[in-house]
Amino acid sequence: MRQAVALRVLASLALTLALGPAAARAQGTLVVQNSTEPPGLDLTATPASATAGVVLYNIQECLVKVDRHGKLVPWLAERWNTTDNRNYTFFLKRGVRFHNGRELRAADVKYVFDRAMNPETKHPYPGYYAAIGDIIVRDDYTITFALKSLNANFLLNLARQGSVIYPREAVDTLKSEPIGTGPFRFAEWVRGDRIVLARNPEYHAKGLPKLDKVVFRFIPDPNATLAALKAGDVDASLFGLGPEHAQELQKDPRFQVIVGDTTNDVILAMNNSRKPYADVRVRRAITHAINKADVLKGAMFGMGRILGSNVDPLNPYFVDLAGAMPYDPAKAKKLLAEAGYPNGFETVLKVSPQYDYTVRSGEIIVDQLQKVGVRVKLEQIEWGQWIARVWREADYDLTIIGHAEAWDISNYANPKYYFRYDNPKFQELFQKSEVTLEDKARRELYLQLQRMLVEDAPAVWLFMHPRLVVAKKGLQGLWKDLPIPSADLSEVAWTK
Amino acid sequence: MRRYVLRRVATLVATLVFVSVLVFVVIRVLPGDPALIIMGTEGSPEAVVRLREALGLNRPLAVQYADWLRRALAGDLGVSIQYDVPVSRLILSRLPLTLPLMLMAATLMLLTALPLGLYAATRHRRVGDYAAMVLSQVGIAVPSFWAGLLLILLFSVRLGWVQSGGFAGWAGGVWPGVRSLLLPAVALGLFQAAVLVRATRSSVLDVLREDYVRTARAKGVSEVLVLGKHTLRNALIPIVTVAGIQLGQLMAGSIILESVFALPGIGRLALGAITARDLPVVQGVTLFVASCIVLINFAVDLLYGVLDPRIRYE
Repeated sequence: MRQAVALRVLASLALTLALGPAAARAQGTLVVQNSTEPPGLDLTATPASATAGVVLYNIQECLVKVDRHGKLVPWLAERWNTTDNRNYTFFLKRGVRFHNGRELRAADVKYVFDRAMNPETKHPYPGYYAAIGDIIVRDDYTITFALKSLNANFLLNLARQGSVIYPREAVDTLKSEPIGTGPFRFAEWVRGDRIVLARNPEYHAKGLPKLDKVVFRFIPDPNATLAALKAGDVDASLFGLGPEHAQELQKDPRFQVIVGDTTNDVILAMNNSRKPYADVRVRRAITHAINKADVLKGAMFGMGRILGSNVDPLNPYFVDLAGAMPYDPAKAKKLLAEAGYPNGFETVLKVSPQYDYTVRSGEIIVDQLQKVGVRVKLEQIEWGQWIARVWREADYDLTIIGHAEAWDISNYANPKYYFRYDNPKFQELFQKSEVTLEDKARRELYLQLQRMLVEDAPAVWLFMHPRLVVAKKGLQGLWKDLPIPSADLSEVAWTK
Repeated sequence: MRRYVLRRVATLVATLVFVSVLVFVVIRVLPGDPALIIMGTEGSPEAVVRLREALGLNRPLAVQYADWLRRALAGDLGVSIQYDVPVSRLILSRLPLTLPLMLMAATLMLLTALPLGLYAATRHRRVGDYAAMVLSQVGIAVPSFWAGLLLILLFSVRLGWVQSGGFAGWAGGVWPGVRSLLLPAVALGLFQAAVLVRATRSSVLDVLREDYVRTARAKGVSEVLVLGKHTLRNALIPIVTVAGIQLGQLMAGSIILESVFALPGIGRLALGAITARDLPVVQGVTLFVASCIVLINFAVDLLYGVLDPRIRYE
């Protein structure tokens, strides 16, 4: 008798336990895993990709949008025109409403860009707007940007995360409760746990969004993420899993694994101002000594693409230069001997374990460089230290990091950047590319820039970090590639 | 007694001041300030400088500390750099998770360790004793984060009984909240119990060798009374000491387990704040945790007097 009662209690307990939140989840809800919690939700105050991953194109939008193929398309501005590439007039889409119910007007756009250009507001990307001279409101739906100088990236910059449009009355709460015109409204932020977005019923793009609710759950640990996916507690991981997990989940019939391209170039940076890397022969030797195919295989399970220069495959001016400086250890040794290092040298490679791929790539590279006589000490440092020591003070010999920003070849034109690469010819050519708007001519300049980098070898471009998305089967509309750091979920839906 | 309490309060204040100075200096000595980390590699250097000024980080360290201390004394722990929310509110918002988790883990720890330790002592050098010791050895050797992952794999992924992580909160009733804390409490409590099992065993073994136990047994007192009344109570002082230390360990262990189970508790708040160099939060959390540990020690000291009336507080 007593046993029967105990069994009944156990059975009811098991039933209660089994009815988890996964079972109760509505069809219109998507639970997405995020590894990093955003450091605030104000895109005009932080450049964090964790913030962009939640806010950009979901809560807030721009005049122009980078679509899933990397193409610039009209968005809050339904069209624009320019006759001289100096004066751009934008015609705003009518009837677009902010989440507080007020209609978007040209004065809002002017306010947003005046604020971004004001040094007092601490905008993270003041350089994007440096070419803007004047902003003139023609009427409620028409606005003109008058540029001081030609700027080939002007339209692109208007589509980036710092250029989101918000109502001026919400400026003080952007960090914690952002308001925009996006397909989803901000609903709730339980710090440390989740951010919830709710469908914007008044969204200006017809038929969108398709989901009712999006929950971004912060799960920092990749193993915990894997377990959450398998247990059905999260539906998708857009950035949180490594290639080792993707490979495992590819075999699981419950999931779809999307492997796409990104703008994230993983490089082995060399301190060009320090001996022996100040000598181009040493830099070339290091490039020849690295077998990138093995690095990609070992660090990324072969996912991603080998790079030869600092333009990512999503860039329209990308040229495949992966074979331009091939793996050739004999040549590397010869170059080292010519540079006065016949027996190699000792050096330190600093990496931050915050990004697994840097450590994994580093371990393989240490071994490869050893074979040409370069004895590398691998030093792991915390991310805050990496930013302060390596990135800001250039206190390093070698380092590995992914550069996720699109069109970041500009970094090589900045002699103060942590590469400390100072080539006036490159700088001049880059400046020319910035004011050349004609596509063919600009393409030619970009080709020259990429080739010049290959020759000078200021860094070793290892591979493009792939986009690895794992989602439950039945989820549609996710971006395959990542031309901009956004997790645009407006077109995502569950198949019925 | 009053003098004793006053002395303990003075110790608490001194500890907190010392800890706050230490944390302030250590966090500032580490390379990478909050402005740099917030702006990351993509923000412009000018933006970093302006943010640093806005956060007041360009002032001398002593001025910053004095300013923080003045506010803290008035009950204002400052505003989180990362979240833009008052630190005290952040800490309070994490307590409904961390306190029940600690409580559940501590209960599990005590309910497992005391009977198991007692059992091992009474079966000294017999199979039961060896089995208990092997179990506790495994508990000491297995890191709690790994135990946590194994528990997730078994109970969430394989059996689907509980969710793999996250906290349901208390709004939907007690059970959903307790359920979401079950696995982490087990990972934390049972595996922390391992050390306490050993302490209980050795302490009970010592007392079992005492003359008064032999006398009690010779008088024909039942074994339950011998163990419960004569042995356990006298063995409790070292056990309580170890348990007090283990409670502090639970707090440390929760930092990692909260990450494994994606729980928004005090531990994860601290970890995130250290990574982001969110100094006001690091300071606030450290003070909170230090106060808790000092208070636990205080409670342990008071318990000595309850357990052994011969102990006087002077």
